[in-house]
Amino acid sequence: MPVTLHLEDPDAAAAAAVARTNDDVWVIVRCLNEASVVGDVIRGLKKVFPHVVGVDDGSTDTSSEEMARAGANVVRHAVNLGAGAALQTGLQYALLDHHADYFLCFDADGQHRVEDAAAMADRIRAEGMDILIGSRFLGRAENMPKSRGLLLRAARLFERLTSKVDLTDAHNGLRVFSRRFASQVDLSMSDMAYASELLALITRSGLSYAEHPVTIDYTDYSMHKGQRSINSVNIAMDIWLNQVLRGRR
Amino acid sequence: MTWIKILLILSFLGMLGWGFRHRAHVGLRAGMRLAAIALTAAAIASVINPNLTTSAANLVGVARGTDLVLYLFIVIFIATSIGTYFRFREQDRRLVEVVRASAIREAVLSQGLPGQNETDPDTRR
Repeated sequence: MPVTLHLEDPDAAAAAAVARTNDDVWVIVRCLNEASVVGDVIRGLKKVFPHVVGVDDGSTDTSSEEMARAGANVVRHAVNLGAGAALQTGLQYALLDHHADYFLCFDADGQHRVEDAAAMADRIRAEGMDILIGSRFLGRAENMPKSRGLLLRAARLFERLTSKVDLTDAHNGLRVFSRRFASQVDLSMSDMAYASELLALITRSGLSYAEHPVTIDYTDYSMHKGQRSINSVNIAMDIWLNQVLRGRR
Repeated sequence: MTWIKILLILSFLGMLGWGFRHRAHVGLRAGMRLAAIALTAAAIASVINPNLTTSAANLVGVARGTDLVLYLFIVIFIATSIGTYFRFREQDRRLVEVVRASAIREAVLSQGLPGQNETDPDTRR
């Protein structure tokens, strides 16, 4: 993206400096037993983003140490709470930094690319939307099994019916939120069903959202660590129950 | 459609609906306790006089007393399961809040507030 610098204009120069350093972004990496890969993922991120927080969701391996050694701030859940709860923790921690304007979620298993994250940070800063969500269907999915593609398309239909948000890839872990949206996020579903709850929150907030093409690398590691397809049955059931009981406890 | 069928279906639906609406209500807890006392009394009475269940069953259109006891058992079991589900849900929510608060507190205590340690504050906006 070409950036014209007007050096006599201090605001533009400052904005360009921020864009170069990504000083206004906090990257949130959720992590559960990913000690073998999470260090490299964070080292890659740290080259572009100065602020990275690793949320260790009760790992039983050395994930916390790996993340700290790679230069991330580490927030550690004493017990495993689930993906949604870890994301919420990361957001609440990063929101404590009053200089932070954008909050970027990045998966710990190495399936995302840092250059996609950097491009998304540039775009949300330039275009001023509140939510920017990565899409592997607008971009590319390397080595994605056919069954996973079909399942994700079915999920898209389900989301469209239940949340009225039409995204091509709602379950993509690469997302950027503005401070305005991030401070509204209050995920009550701790596990993987949080992705659908997030969509409901987007609808309710009425804030602007967009999708950004990204590449997902399906490595043996990420496929092995990732969710099993049958878990989508549990997720759908949880979402339905949560909608029936919405707001009440 | 015999009376027992209508009674059972109504009690299923009524319990579901009422339980959902008022699950935070003290009346629900009080009701459960009164029901527990009444059931214990009924159980003792039916031990003393086993024919009691059969006469009660005949009263509502069930042939055998054991069937009536089984029906009651199913209804109570479902109600208890629903109650347990909500209790776990609430417990989970509390656990998440406690663990999160302690995790963030620990991180701030050991590493400082986010954004304060890794960059010189003067160079930030």
